[in-house]
Amino acid sequence: MSEHLVSVKQEYVLAIDTSAGTTVAVLSLGEVLAELNYLEPMTHSERIGSAIEEVLAKAKVSPSNISQVVVGRGPGPYTGLRVGLAAAKFFAFGASAELLGICSLDAIAYSYYQQNPNQNVPVLVTTDARRQEVFWALYNGIDKGVPIRVEGPSVNKPAYLKELLTGQEHTVTDLPITASSLGQVAHFQSLTDLGASRDSSPIYLREPDATPSKAKRVSG
Amino acid sequence: MEHLIREAHASDLDAIMAIENECFATDAWSLEVMLSELEAPHTYYLVAEVEDKVVGYAGLSQLVGATQADIQTIAVRPNQRGSGLGRALMQELTKEATRRGAKEVFLEVRADNTIAQKLYKMFGFKQIGLRKKYYQPDGVDAFVMKTSLLRDEVSEPLVLGIETSCDETGIGIVRGNTLLANVISSSMDQHARFGGVVPEVAARAHLEALTPALEQALREAKVTLDEIDAIAVTNGPGLAGALMVGVGAAKALAVSTGKPIYAVNHLVGHIAADILDQGKLAVPTIALLVSGGHTSLLLVRDIINDVHLLGETIDDAAGEAFDKVARVLGLSYPGGPEIDRAALGGNPAAIRFPRGLTLAKDMAEHRYDFSFSGLKTAVARHVELAESKGETLLISDVAASFREAVVDVLIRKAIAACVDNNIPRLLLGGGVIANARLREVAIEACQENDIELRIPPLSLCTDNGAMIAALGSQLVQAGFAPSSLDFSADSTLLVTQIQS
Repeated sequence: MSEHLVSVKQEYVLAIDTSAGTTVAVLSLGEVLAELNYLEPMTHSERIGSAIEEVLAKAKVSPSNISQVVVGRGPGPYTGLRVGLAAAKFFAFGASAELLGICSLDAIAYSYYQQNPNQNVPVLVTTDARRQEVFWALYNGIDKGVPIRVEGPSVNKPAYLKELLTGQEHTVTDLPITASSLGQVAHFQSLTDLGASRDSSPIYLREPDATPSKAKRVSG
Repeated sequence: MEHLIREAHASDLDAIMAIENECFATDAWSLEVMLSELEAPHTYYLVAEVEDKVVGYAGLSQLVGATQADIQTIAVRPNQRGSGLGRALMQELTKEATRRGAKEVFLEVRADNTIAQKLYKMFGFKQIGLRKKYYQPDGVDAFVMKTSLLRDEVSEPLVLGIETSCDETGIGIVRGNTLLANVISSSMDQHARFGGVVPEVAARAHLEALTPALEQALREAKVTLDEIDAIAVTNGPGLAGALMVGVGAAKALAVSTGKPIYAVNHLVGHIAADILDQGKLAVPTIALLVSGGHTSLLLVRDIINDVHLLGETIDDAAGEAFDKVARVLGLSYPGGPEIDRAALGGNPAAIRFPRGLTLAKDMAEHRYDFSFSGLKTAVARHVELAESKGETLLISDVAASFREAVVDVLIRKAIAACVDNNIPRLLLGGGVIANARLREVAIEACQENDIELRIPPLSLCTDNGAMIAALGSQLVQAGFAPSSLDFSADSTLLVTQIQS
């Protein structure tokens, strides 16, 4: 048998999210081995390389042993969000790892239910979408580790949300997104019949802000 | 802070000893030992100077004919650390070791000096042994570290280049100075209805195009990712949100594959394109880079460390002027080829449009700068005036006359730069080089002035990853250390910052 030695990849997962700050984590079978969180909203492209390198070192896992990369698909401010998505794509390519995508708001809902284990109540997750709007999604409890999303993700004015949810009992969370929660949602999703999602496309929710231009008159 | 690295002399002994005692308080070398090191025939010592004061030094030892060299020492005054002096000294020492035929370089470092270890790791040093309690009287262990110079591989490195500074996702692969693959995925069509590049649209397209472009480039080059020696990526200048897609991807690829990464300047990349066409860059040369985002005149003495900005546009880029005038004339985007088509049969002398910054007073202050915003307005006025008078407008004359004004200024100033600096060489780059009239006038003007003209093929003139890989390859071949992983995307990166 010795001539048929096959190197079996360890089940290590790298999770990356840049929908708010920069957060990265290494997990194994749903257990968090290491995590790094940088809250600043403008330093994604500076941070991302060292953050991944450091979290792998902290977890004592070599890049080639990563078999899955889980990335937060947003929603979130686009420029930062894309840094994490681009990094996840090329890390997965370089490590020959599988690429999975999770809605970033799902990870926040997961954190909420983890921290409030006895409250399987509806929870509204909102994050700043700028222009006086919020990205949001509504969850109705958690099932075997997977938050049950019943509405969203969408982008609206807070007033619209208030009206929409009038009379509906719910709690609101403003917990930060963490890559560890993102990785855990993917882990629990992979145990379901549907499995974890391979869709790693960004959740933008808005069209690019540009209008077809016409030449302006220069003479009076 | 500007610094100078030069060979050390015995007359530097006092300055070196002051630093030696400051940096190695408990186990400093004696004056006699240091002097014999400086004077030994098999050693090579350098000092780093800032404002004419010696602030650091480093030494190499290699017996004649030996293929192994040792880094003897390296020290930088504490108040000068963090500005890259240690890196610069190490770079010069490893270059000298390469010149002397070394295949391996060794050194010892204190086990508790993690800053120095980090520097050495950047140069490929790995720990190969431990000397217990080597440093006395402190009783600290020494790590023995080694790096391989592998001259054959270093001279022909296989480099992957990633370019996302505007609307082209470019992934290129070069071996040494030879082009292996140049994959370009453009989002130009998506910008057409907006009449210009929309940054958010470009950035979204980059994210989608990255992986397919990388796969295709590896296929075309017939290499695997494992074989790549280094990754180069554009970190500026360009559209910030677009640059960040490439930077994020490149950094993660570097970490996942363990390859060194080089953050390089987009504009200098355009110059490197000529290396892929010619096998080498003839220097010194004047370079005229003209695109939708840039109009720059450069003086290049050495592509890896001596690129000087002579002038640039003070308002619109030339390509932008083509786009805007195309819109005025009711033509579509991109304006360059449209105006070329419209100008067919037109009289370039029909209308005398203004030549920006060419009057005597402007030439004193802006000899090599450009301005196209006034020209665009003049064309618009001309069109509006004709319309208000109910005259029919000969679009072909307007297009030809406008194009002539742009080309005239570009080439006139580029030739002036060649003549003034006594450099009989002109290199063209950037997407606007596709303009047939520009090339025609450049050829005529260069012939008249005995200037050697270089125009790389168009696929290397427009934004592409191969030119970025080519520049990265020059840095690797010169023995430059990789960039640290923390570099940023800089939309206004200066052309003098060749590597970040």
